[in-house]
Amino acid sequence: MTMFHFFNCAILTFGPHAVYYSATPLSEYDTLGTSVKTAVVYLGTALVKLVCLATFLKVSESDSFDPSQELLKALIGFIDVAGLYFALTQLTHRNISQNHKFQAVGLGWAFADSVLHRLAPLWVGARGLEFTWDYILQGLEANANLMLSLSLAALGSLMWLRKNKPKTLIPIIYACAGIVATMPSITSYLRWGLKWHLPEVVGFQVLTSLTMALISWQLFSACQRPSSSA
Amino acid sequence: MANPTNAAEGRRQMFESFYSVIALVFILVACVELCDASTVVDVYRLIQYDIAGVPFGSRVASLNHHAGSSLFAPGSDLSRTVVIFPLSELNETFIREYIEQGKPLGGLLLLLPRIFHPDNSETVGGHGVSSDKENLKKILVNLEQKLIHSSIHYPVYFAFEDEDLDSVLADIKKNDAAGQPATATTGGYKLIVTSPTPKKLTSPTITNIQGWLPGLKGDGDSNQLPTIAIVASYDTFGAAPGLSVGSDSNGSGVVGLLEIARLFSILYSNPHTRGKYNLLFGLTSGGPYNYNGTHKWLRSFDQRLRESIDYAICLNSLGSGENGLWVHVSKPPENAYVKQIFEGLSDVAQELGLKVGLKHKKINISNSRVAWEHEQFSRLRVTAATVSGLSVAPNLLENTGGLSDNREFVSEDAVVQSVKLVAESLARHIYGQQGKKMEIFADNTSLGVNPFYIKSWLHLLSTTPRVAPFLSKDNPFIMALKKELADHVAEVNLQHDVLDGMFTFYDSTVATLQIYQVASVTFDLLLLLVLGSYLITLFSFLVITTRGVDDLISLFRRPPSRKAKAA
Repeated sequence: MTMFHFFNCAILTFGPHAVYYSATPLSEYDTLGTSVKTAVVYLGTALVKLVCLATFLKVSESDSFDPSQELLKALIGFIDVAGLYFALTQLTHRNISQNHKFQAVGLGWAFADSVLHRLAPLWVGARGLEFTWDYILQGLEANANLMLSLSLAALGSLMWLRKNKPKTLIPIIYACAGIVATMPSITSYLRWGLKWHLPEVVGFQVLTSLTMALISWQLFSACQRPSSSA
Repeated sequence: MANPTNAAEGRRQMFESFYSVIALVFILVACVELCDASTVVDVYRLIQYDIAGVPFGSRVASLNHHAGSSLFAPGSDLSRTVVIFPLSELNETFIREYIEQGKPLGGLLLLLPRIFHPDNSETVGGHGVSSDKENLKKILVNLEQKLIHSSIHYPVYFAFEDEDLDSVLADIKKNDAAGQPATATTGGYKLIVTSPTPKKLTSPTITNIQGWLPGLKGDGDSNQLPTIAIVASYDTFGAAPGLSVGSDSNGSGVVGLLEIARLFSILYSNPHTRGKYNLLFGLTSGGPYNYNGTHKWLRSFDQRLRESIDYAICLNSLGSGENGLWVHVSKPPENAYVKQIFEGLSDVAQELGLKVGLKHKKINISNSRVAWEHEQFSRLRVTAATVSGLSVAPNLLENTGGLSDNREFVSEDAVVQSVKLVAESLARHIYGQQGKKMEIFADNTSLGVNPFYIKSWLHLLSTTPRVAPFLSKDNPFIMALKKELADHVAEVNLQHDVLDGMFTFYDSTVATLQIYQVASVTFDLLLLLVLGSYLITLFSFLVITTRGVDDLISLFRRPPSRKAKAA
């Protein structure tokens, strides 16, 4: 029965990634290699982040919210963006369209994140007899994260790869990218600074990531149109 | 587009290398076994024992069932439910049906109020015992007797009320009151005790401790001097061996003996005040089992020694002697020795303002029951008396220091008074001062009874469970007793013996109970259903937005062609 619960949570956590891969044209163009490379880049980024956190952050004994420390943490969080930039521009991808490239990168990014952050707690926790909602919420969080990674990758590809985009949209793209990139820090602030409960935080994450995904989608298709017509 | 065979090859290789890494990670993680229960409590198992092959107590140790409360519907099947009962909620019907008549039950967890906890003894002094407490004690004594005298085919555990358990119980009660089945959202709990099948204890040992204070050697051998024996049995028996501390029975007797040994050691250390009697101190084991240890101890004496014993005084349950003590004897009160002992005691009692009564109970040789320790002496024709706070002879396994007998209910003052009474009357006898008004052990002198000594030993005894079969030969407690006695008297030695064959005991007396909040299988099935439909919706949504509705329909319409494409 507990194994059952573990499988349920695993499906919720990792299922969307697989579904996304198989449902979209990504599977047809065989972009798995790109995703895997991105995952490796993610691992590298995570390592760099860890080193930075360990170097610059003071160890606080209490669980209190320290603004300066949190700011530093947020800054270190931007290393993610650098990693994503590397994955989008520097990796030699096989000849796939930008349209698929960002999706593959976002997917690989989100999947690596889920595996790294959620698999071990899930395996240890959800198999136990004790029931908590935590792992289901964590699965929902993974879904939100997938959407967020995809939007960030989409915005990134718009910023760094597309040359001829409508001038009016550029500030909006950058603003959105900024918001998406700071989202992890915002949620961490909500959780530790304002002491929100986990369900509230996850609800917030799902809602914001959904809106951000919609906005980036609209932006992407708005940029797509002139380029396809040109 | 890349060459498909090349890509497939590369992908395969990548997967293979990944599999080994993932497998390694899984193996590592699977080794981690965490105890992640919401609540973990120490529980004490109901004793399991046989008397001459007849089973008594709880016969099962392991527990793995859902929890229920006292609010179960009458007549419902509880064979797969662990019922949690606070002591105060126990009712006659439940005890009759499930304990005495043996109706099937998944398990029973009895919650005792914290006042019965052995570590609760810091703040109390026996006074201010409210009627509420007394009432609880009465219920517990009654329950304990029923539990140890019936054979129960489900696990029974004792735990102490605390916040965690209370909140769990409140949750369960809410459920039971609503008549809902236990689910994740409404708080289903599972109680688990993992314990191997209890094993018989092979040849339980009993350990007697004896020490001598030799009297003043006259011209002859000191062995020729008459001997007075002071004896107390130190072990206990109760429904939960892990909780049987027996502060009163017979912790108070042991304390009394130690204090008397201390007082006389001061007197005997000076040649001028050394009496013409040898004093023999005996801490005996096996008290609850017809004073089996006393029996073995006396048998080990040689005839000469046994005959040299003038009389023996056994100390028993001094702590409940607030309203006066009783001197229990087996010889008729007209007997010269009995008269002498009783008069000696009652003289001093009068001066101290205590009441002392005499009770005569004949020994029935054909009956194996030995209710008082002195009866073992009397059976060997040694004059003996038991000084006890109890007025009636207890039945087998009654008043043997069970669950309810703890520090909370023992009056320290009563112990001090009793010790003074016994020591004073002994001293008057030894120094031939009977009938004279003189106080040897006056308060606030170097010879006064030391309340702090009594208090500290009473505390130690009240926190140490002492069921003899579960005490090993070199148990720290026995060693502590030996050392303490050796500090005061000479020639302290231990006598190990085997408890006589009538009793058989089983191990695993203490366990850890894990309480998990669990989800029902139905909940997990529902969750799976919801997740499945979520993924299917997501899939359809993505296919429609990225490839169009036609693609989605074609996926279902022509599966063989898709398979061919994938291959």
